[in-house]
Amino acid sequence: MTTNVPVIDAHPAVPSLPKNYLNCSAGFMSWAGTLDHKRIGLMYLIGTGIAFLAGGLFALLVRLHLWEPHGMLFSNETYNQVFTLHGAFMVFLFVIPAIPGSLGNMVMPLMLGAKDVALPRLNLLSFYLWITGAVLATLAIILGGFDTGWTFYTPYSLYTDQAVVSIGLAVFTLGFSSIFTGLNFIVTVHKLRAPGLTWFRMPLFVWAIYATSILQVLATPVLGITVLLVAFERLYHIGIFDPRLGGDPVLFEHFFWFYSHPAVYIMVLPAFGIISELVSVHSRKPLFGYKLIAFSSIAIAIISFLVWGHHMFTSGQSTYAMFAFSFLTFFVAIPTAIKEFSWVATIWKGSIALNSPMLYTLAFLIIFAIGGLTGVILGSLNVDLHLHDTYFVVAHFHYVMMGSIALAFFAGLHHWWPKMFGVMYDETLAKIACGIIFVGFNATFIPQFIMGSQGMPRRYATYVPEFAGYHMASTCGAMLLGCGVALMVYYLVASLLQRKPAMENQWGGVTLDWQTPTPPPLENFHTPPKVVHEVYDYSTLDLHSMQRPIS
Amino acid sequence: MFALLTQDPAKINYVADPAKAPTLDAFGQLPELASTFGHVDGLFYFTYAVCIFFFVLIVGVLLFSVVKYHRKTFDQPAASNVTHNTPLEVVWTVIPLIIVMVMFAWGFDGCMDMHYAPHAASQNQFKATAKQWSWTFNYPNDPSQSFNEVWIPVDKPVQFVLESTDVLHAFYMPSMRVKRDVIPGRLQTVWFHPKKEGEFHLFCAEYCGDDHSRMYAKVHVVKQSVYDTRPWDQWKDATPAEAAASGESLYKQICASCHSVNGTPSVGPSWKGMFTKQGENYVGRQREVVEGGAKKTITVDDAYITESIQKPDQKKVAEEPYVKNAMTAFPTLEERKIKGLIQYMKSLADAK
Repeated sequence: MTTNVPVIDAHPAVPSLPKNYLNCSAGFMSWAGTLDHKRIGLMYLIGTGIAFLAGGLFALLVRLHLWEPHGMLFSNETYNQVFTLHGAFMVFLFVIPAIPGSLGNMVMPLMLGAKDVALPRLNLLSFYLWITGAVLATLAIILGGFDTGWTFYTPYSLYTDQAVVSIGLAVFTLGFSSIFTGLNFIVTVHKLRAPGLTWFRMPLFVWAIYATSILQVLATPVLGITVLLVAFERLYHIGIFDPRLGGDPVLFEHFFWFYSHPAVYIMVLPAFGIISELVSVHSRKPLFGYKLIAFSSIAIAIISFLVWGHHMFTSGQSTYAMFAFSFLTFFVAIPTAIKEFSWVATIWKGSIALNSPMLYTLAFLIIFAIGGLTGVILGSLNVDLHLHDTYFVVAHFHYVMMGSIALAFFAGLHHWWPKMFGVMYDETLAKIACGIIFVGFNATFIPQFIMGSQGMPRRYATYVPEFAGYHMASTCGAMLLGCGVALMVYYLVASLLQRKPAMENQWGGVTLDWQTPTPPPLENFHTPPKVVHEVYDYSTLDLHSMQRPIS
Repeated sequence: MFALLTQDPAKINYVADPAKAPTLDAFGQLPELASTFGHVDGLFYFTYAVCIFFFVLIVGVLLFSVVKYHRKTFDQPAASNVTHNTPLEVVWTVIPLIIVMVMFAWGFDGCMDMHYAPHAASQNQFKATAKQWSWTFNYPNDPSQSFNEVWIPVDKPVQFVLESTDVLHAFYMPSMRVKRDVIPGRLQTVWFHPKKEGEFHLFCAEYCGDDHSRMYAKVHVVKQSVYDTRPWDQWKDATPAEAAASGESLYKQICASCHSVNGTPSVGPSWKGMFTKQGENYVGRQREVVEGGAKKTITVDDAYITESIQKPDQKKVAEEPYVKNAMTAFPTLEERKIKGLIQYMKSLADAK
């Protein structure tokens, strides 16, 4: 680790401390017992990164299996376990915690000009709960796996003889991790903003994390109670969801989606936040429609609680319920569209730097347009009756969850990588990897849109032979996507070994996270910062800080 | 867990011809419509066109900006610092809002059409019973059932009453544009009006466990004259092999839930070893039964099997673990079908 003194500081009159958060202390306990938000963020990054790679491996196995109509690798039972693992790992261990846990932890207190989050011990507890959840999920695999799909639909999840209780406990524990993180961030945003940092001077990433946190605190308990009820039902046969005991399996669907629809926005709002930041910095232009974007985050957070029934259009709801759920589903399209338009308008007439974070951002904007627009197709009641539970839905939510959220995560990772470590990765390789991921992703999921609209149902270990061509194309795309991700992991890890120093302000950001030394010292700012400018005011940018290497 | 198990392709019961590509509609995206639910296609393509318009707009502006305004020197400022434009923001809020409200009304109207069955459909009511992992069909005013295959008359609205005996399933016919979850403990219905003759897929669309993907039925939409010949109730028994094959399909429909053919004890005794082959003849095994309260040993033969199907309590098997279980009687099963079942039972003794 470099121990050099950062030359330039936001407050150069004050002598700089010689150490940053990475090298200020050493040893296992200095990490395992750390209360520093940046170290906790880094541990989240490693943890969720491993979960992503594991989930990705399961995805490649699924795609490989579907190369042939009869299935190439597994028995049906094993296939069902593998796709369940892919879904559960990606959703619960990666997509939900990744951005708030790693980048949120790392960057949000910096953006607020705070020394740390408001409740550092709770922050560490959140991380350990995540670890516990990950261990329980892995234990469920060792105990024989589970084959319910990540949705745990009853009554199948009550009858199957697999490790449902263990994975239920994992989800329950991960839920608490998520709630604690949300609670912590809400308090932090309310209490620890630097002097002068009014609500409407907050970077939009902070707004997005704030809206996400509200959702986490309000929605996650419902999931916790629901999986607990499933566990009780399995162990003690109470008769809540089991029709043989007078229970109602559709009640479970309501409970599950009451959490899991807001959860979609728990996943995607932080991604919106990252994109809002990056679009502004790399276009060197104030964000277009700042207030509208901030309010649309809150609007999405509220409306997202009222649309869960659109996952259940085929399950025989009353027509009045279908009317309301479809109407509100279309309504949520509007704030989402406003965001997309505002990002594009920000890029318009900007000073657009075509570096790797921006390329990932552009890839996000294109993919998210497809993901969002295909959601509109699914919102129509009669069309959804045809497309529900087909590969069209699979492709749609992968465009949102993998293509948009994971790509936004990658964009943010590339953007803040030099800030976090003080080193730069190989930009050429990064641009190549971004291109491979973009092409591979679309090659994987465009065929799925087509076969889905033709009637290919999801969660099929085998399929009618007429869909073979689409499945082959999709599998080829997935392999390409896998290569792109592998390349990304390679150059990111290599950058830590090669230690090519980053610039003080690598991309020319003007929010507070770029006003500390790189990498930041233990308590972020040598003197408490004051905010006197509006957010994204690029007239205040010290252009030379973009060309001065650290140390 | 990750044992690489090879599968037996013969186990798959899809009937589709691998060489036959699906017939698509004129726009090449949805399967050719075979029912009257054309509003699904109409709204799908309308939304699709709107999506393509907005996608091209967004990507066009993006690419244009990237080409025209990319940063040439590191200190290049933005060409404009506009932070908002109220008329523009109102326009891009209101226009999408109007468009999605049109889609909503169109979709809701279509959904009402699919939700409420017309009287004619409820007069032509079939029943589909879903269980892991098969479909059983009952016909209106007809005692027969069929298994994983169903015949319906063309150009006559039809309603299916859906029942599940175990977990969630879903009744999905892409060509008819209908899907309905099958929920244990509830009776659901679905209706459509088939307009085209042909063979159509019926998939299970709600995940239901191990063989979810093999829970498949073929729907034959046929002329009324063909329907009147009751094609689901054909029986071939010209040769012993044909009779055994017919017997096997009937076994799967009505016997397999209680009797295995591989020796596994189930509700009733397995059929394996019921007969053994000695030269050209099939010889029945010895079996302990209770007749009129008295235990005795008999030799299994055609007469015993026939009696057991028609009056199962006459000579009840006395072996564990079956003693406590009672078999459903099939007193009306035709003699040729009983013979077919016996032929199938005997064929199990043939060298494989």
